[in-house]
Amino acid sequence: MRDTLRWAYALNQWNVRLDVFVRHEDQQRALKTVSACGFDTIELASGTGRWDNISRPEVILLNHGSHAGFLDFLRRASVQGVSSMFWDPQAPAEEEEGYAFRSTANPADADAIVEWSKPFVDFVAGVGAEQLVVRPVGSAWMTPPLDGDGIKRIGDVWNRIGELTSASGVGLALHYDCLGAVHTAEELTALLDATDPASVGLALDTAEFTVGGIDPVTYYREHADRVTHIHLKDTRYADTGDEYRMPGAESTMLKGGAGRRIERWFYELGTEGGLVDVRAFVAALREHEYSGWVVVESDHGGNPAELAMLNSWYLQHELGIPKS
Amino acid sequence: MVWTKWSYMDHWVTETPQGPQPPSFNRAYMDRYVKQLSALGFTGFDTFFFYLPLYAGMYGGVPGFERFLQDNGFDKITGIFSAYPSATKYTAPHVRETHDRIVADCTNTLRMCEALTGVENFIVMPTSTYYQTEPVTDDTIKVVADLWNRVGKLTLEHGMKTTCHFEFWGAIRTRAQLETFFEYTDPEYVHFFCDTAQHTIAGVDPVQLFRDYRDRCTGFHFKDTKNVDEHEAYRTPPDPELMAPQVTRWFYEMGEGGLVDFPGLMKEIVASGYDGWLTVEHDKAELGGGSYAEATAVAKWYIDNVLAGAQAAAEAELGVAR
Repeated sequence: MRDTLRWAYALNQWNVRLDVFVRHEDQQRALKTVSACGFDTIELASGTGRWDNISRPEVILLNHGSHAGFLDFLRRASVQGVSSMFWDPQAPAEEEEGYAFRSTANPADADAIVEWSKPFVDFVAGVGAEQLVVRPVGSAWMTPPLDGDGIKRIGDVWNRIGELTSASGVGLALHYDCLGAVHTAEELTALLDATDPASVGLALDTAEFTVGGIDPVTYYREHADRVTHIHLKDTRYADTGDEYRMPGAESTMLKGGAGRRIERWFYELGTEGGLVDVRAFVAALREHEYSGWVVVESDHGGNPAELAMLNSWYLQHELGIPKS
Repeated sequence: MVWTKWSYMDHWVTETPQGPQPPSFNRAYMDRYVKQLSALGFTGFDTFFFYLPLYAGMYGGVPGFERFLQDNGFDKITGIFSAYPSATKYTAPHVRETHDRIVADCTNTLRMCEALTGVENFIVMPTSTYYQTEPVTDDTIKVVADLWNRVGKLTLEHGMKTTCHFEFWGAIRTRAQLETFFEYTDPEYVHFFCDTAQHTIAGVDPVQLFRDYRDRCTGFHFKDTKNVDEHEAYRTPPDPELMAPQVTRWFYEMGEGGLVDFPGLMKEIVASGYDGWLTVEHDKAELGGGSYAEATAVAKWYIDNVLAGAQAAAEAELGVAR
């Protein structure tokens, strides 16, 4: 995309299960799709084990020999680099960490989480990416209520990891999601206040904010100095009944319809009935001369190639951004 | 200068609440389909004659459908594909007695295209299946040629060139049969449409064929194949495209390790001075779990990253600039 904003595309929708998106030729087709849509930079998501050879740092390196080897692999498809990588230390399926359940909300887990972050920090720096994007805390339904001290403890973990990322020359961006135990705008602001602005920023995901009841345009305008990363996607629904507290919300809310038969929460830009004011949000980014990456994302959507093309169409025809 | 006249042949299947369907499922799916093609940079749209009544119903007429395309970044409808793959007692290009009916059908199709911006190609499958037509003699080819000479004269009166798209399983498939057909048809009325995969499967080099008949060529289907028909699959009744026992999928998008020399063809196109539309076709891309969306994106990537380079190299070599 030829623009003053820097646009990237997230690969997560291609890697929807453990045992898919493993063959390099499948990955090349995804990369070519992203490239044909006008994006020359990608965001990676973390994964685990031998099949996540485009998601787990150690496995990527095992497959491609080195950071440079991985970048060569991307460049075969005219994708020039990596903007960022997403990592959720609470994800229980990290084989490399013995499938341990850890939480930043639990002080006893802090040292282990800091240690776990190191392969990601090293990889992000090694491939020349700019941001390690992280899920700051686990889901609300799995986490005891957080008071001010609880939020501060979470902030302390990320400050420690922020020191590592800063030392490696990369940024650390906390990615708010609609299920997280840090849920309200006040709680999110408290978390930002508990972290060092010099090393810890905010990854603002327009759809996650909207589902969670936070207006992304307003929040961005009020905290533009802390926003270092963007995920741009739309949603047709907001959580109107504290649905994020449902037991097993990852399934019961995001996949199970939240009792409202919602089949899908996240949508491509320009979707009919979309709640995100994408034009206003992008305009706000331009007003504040936002300099980070804007990552277009289509997770929990449908056919990833279709969604990438529709997102590309929106950027070209609704936002007026030339593809090349 | 980059080749801008890329069109897309209207094969597509997408997931709907009622299973995998063409996007003509409803207008919302058409919106998504057309926007995806537009996002990749396609500006021409080729479709089938049998879709015209459907699109007319959805958009208040074929011109209304074309306006919908134009609202989404397309220039126009570039080609209409008409075919009688199965010979019937009503329509069979090798049976002279059915020609009046075929001409009447073509007249109806032309009527539906009135008031369009300017369809350039009236693309026809010149014959039905080989197994229904054989033995294919000179006389058979002469009968077929007579039909398309008639149709060609008719379509030209409506501003469209009748152009022949040969199938590997059609009755005119070998190099010798193609030469006979072109000899029997009037160059003013009957043109050549080069489907790279179909000719390759039939054992005919599409690059050489274009080189030899470039003066009559008015379009291309850029698609690839990984197999030459070595088992007389072309004679498989009722249909070798989906029922040949040796090959379950014949067609692939460009850049997936197929047999067609697309950079070589691009060089020939530049050398020939051809300046018409180049069409991407994906036929049965869903076989084996494939996706039309991804196949289209991958093909356009190949155009942007490989064919653009081949074009530039050919122009530099020949000292020409588009």
